[in-house]
Amino acid sequence: MEEKKLRQYDFLTSIILILFGIWDLAQAFKMPMKDSYGGVESVWYVSPALFPLFIGGGIILMGAILLINSIRTGGAARFIDSLKHVSEAKLTNETVRVLTVLLALGSFIYILIPNIDFFLSITLFLFFLCTAFYPDHDEFRRTFVIHFIIGMAVFLILIVTGLSDIINGILKYNMDILALLFIIYMNVAARKMAKAREIPVKLIRQVTIVSIVVPLILCPLFRYFLLVPLPVEGGILKLMNLLYYTIR
Amino acid sequence: MNFVESLQIFFVNIGGMLISPSILLILFGSVIMGIIFGATPGLTATLGVALLTTLTYGMDASTAMVALMGIYVGGVYGGSYTSILVNIPGTAASAATALDGYPLACKGQAGRALGLTTTSSAIGTFIGMIFVVALAPVISALALQFTSFEFFLLALFGIVISGTLTSHDLVYKGWIAGFIGLFLSTIGRDSLQFFPRFTFGMSDLEGGLDLVPVLIGAFGIPQIMTSIRDNFKVGETHKFKRIVPDFKTIAGNTPSILRSSLIGVGIGAVPGIGEDIAGWVSYGAAKRASKHPEEFGNGAVDAVISTETANNSCIGGAMIPLLTLGVPGSPPAAMLLGALLLHGIQPGPMLTIDHPTFILEITAILLLASVAMWVCGILLAKQVIKVLKIPTSIFMPVIAVLCVIGSYALGMRVFNLYLMLPLGILAYLMSEMKYPIAPLIIGVILGNMCDANLRRALMVSKGSFEPVFTRPVSLVLFLIIVLMIVGQIPYFQNLQRKLTSRLSFLRKSEIEGNAEATADCQDHE
Repeated sequence: MEEKKLRQYDFLTSIILILFGIWDLAQAFKMPMKDSYGGVESVWYVSPALFPLFIGGGIILMGAILLINSIRTGGAARFIDSLKHVSEAKLTNETVRVLTVLLALGSFIYILIPNIDFFLSITLFLFFLCTAFYPDHDEFRRTFVIHFIIGMAVFLILIVTGLSDIINGILKYNMDILALLFIIYMNVAARKMAKAREIPVKLIRQVTIVSIVVPLILCPLFRYFLLVPLPVEGGILKLMNLLYYTIR
Repeated sequence: MNFVESLQIFFVNIGGMLISPSILLILFGSVIMGIIFGATPGLTATLGVALLTTLTYGMDASTAMVALMGIYVGGVYGGSYTSILVNIPGTAASAATALDGYPLACKGQAGRALGLTTTSSAIGTFIGMIFVVALAPVISALALQFTSFEFFLLALFGIVISGTLTSHDLVYKGWIAGFIGLFLSTIGRDSLQFFPRFTFGMSDLEGGLDLVPVLIGAFGIPQIMTSIRDNFKVGETHKFKRIVPDFKTIAGNTPSILRSSLIGVGIGAVPGIGEDIAGWVSYGAAKRASKHPEEFGNGAVDAVISTETANNSCIGGAMIPLLTLGVPGSPPAAMLLGALLLHGIQPGPMLTIDHPTFILEITAILLLASVAMWVCGILLAKQVIKVLKIPTSIFMPVIAVLCVIGSYALGMRVFNLYLMLPLGILAYLMSEMKYPIAPLIIGVILGNMCDANLRRALMVSKGSFEPVFTRPVSLVLFLIIVLMIVGQIPYFQNLQRKLTSRLSFLRKSEIEGNAEATADCQDHE
């Protein structure tokens, strides 16, 4: 980031830091200072608030220095000026790429891992993230991401409303079956989209292989060799367990 | 333990490892993995150590250290591959190597350049190891005399110096990062009164933040985001037939190797700053000492040797404060600290008492790792380069899965993942705004040491800060911290500049006066 932009953002971060420091101090003042806690009479220098006070004070001080520097160098004025043109601002390609990665990681961690079979979660995550970037085609990525967002929104609604429990109550692995169907749908959609845009379908095939092979190596490695119980052991992992313990 | 006994234990350790095929397999495997991590732009030795820590979960502490030291040594060395062959540093540690390594490759000497970096890296690691074995017991013995005030100031010193030296923009951005790290360390029940701080009533936060997810989040997630964002492509690598060790050139550069090793060990021992700074400082020193500084940047052999010796000797340097004081000397050492704690080993002054042979074990592992690195470097370079052909858009998502599974597997808590991602986003935004990440990590690691020792010290002194000024080590640390902070204030910087120019003027006039006096004497005669 260039110097001018840095000073501009310094203005924003300094305000965030000062506010954060004030919040930290406010929280620290709520901690026992000299009074008794758990039946033990305390003194100020043993108080659990002492260190948070030191940190809060330090953050406010440094935030203030950053703020002064930003005002002196004209960063604050530029930042305020840029606010007037917020409506005209456009998302850069780089920002879109970062947001796509965050979308993938966010949905993987907060939606898939706690609710769907771990094997399927990894497959879906890898298939989405690799397919979005491997063909290196912006228009393809945009359409593909929209499909993924809609799918994840459906999963989120099912989970938040508790419908997922009802669905799983009908048949134990219904949510996993739903995830599997979504992976298949995404795969077919990606192939169709690739064909329409003259992207070699070979790339989608390679991504499919990677997104199946990686969890096929990692899940047994962690589950059977490192003896780590995986977050959700749904349909696929239960099938793996059955195979593994039958062979053993 | 006397010298002969130490030597005996050292060789018994080496012998034990050499006769165990599984240990050798782990050693060579982890070194190769390290080289791949180092050679791949976007992946670092720190991330390599972080991800491998998960796989060492079921191993005993010694075997785990073989794997982790192996990947650390290999990771620091591996960066030189892409520096030389494509002019893109695989890691920040090898950025200085690219300046002269790539021109050497352009001259058709890629094999020779790789041979030189391989041998000098091995020598650097070996010299770093000698310093670990020589200095660690001395510092440990000294640290046993430390009281809580010294430990508090030492932790604070670590954060301040790491912030000062790693910041690429304003110095206090490094300190801000350190303070954010300190804040993160206060989350959970405090260690003296067990009062829940910043837990928001969540039981998952009561035990504090687990170190490994924090490290993986802070180092791994930003790298994944940056690599995919920039759509990084390695490009065509320079071709070479075989790697030539070129011992003759190495022998001819002995002074440069010794100087760079000392720089590497010294910089490694400073908390929080690592191999990248060692490489650059050593490059500058080699250029100043060279008889042909004009060759630097055009394929100077001594430049390549000095940077690679320094960044690998930094490993030994970083291990010294880690093992003796519990203060990590570099980001990968911070990750090693997490791994050691995971295996029930508490680094610090008590390490020599609780595990008397542990430092010797580490030195033996460092020696074997440097040999393994040399062998792998000479024999397998061509094969390792092939990994660079895997596209980033395929490789990085797989690394993301490894980060996620690594963060989860150590505590077996999905909650760690919920924390890892926001921390990763925070680290990404901070690094975009030129806030260094190393002080943040040092803050998280040293926060508890800082907090508990400050309060313990004040408890003993009944709230008085007087011991800071009456105890010599405390006073020295305090003065260094104050000078480092004050040194950043413009008024004092101007004062320092004025004083320096005044002193040089006085010295100049003194020399001129002496010259005039000599001339007068000669006239009289």
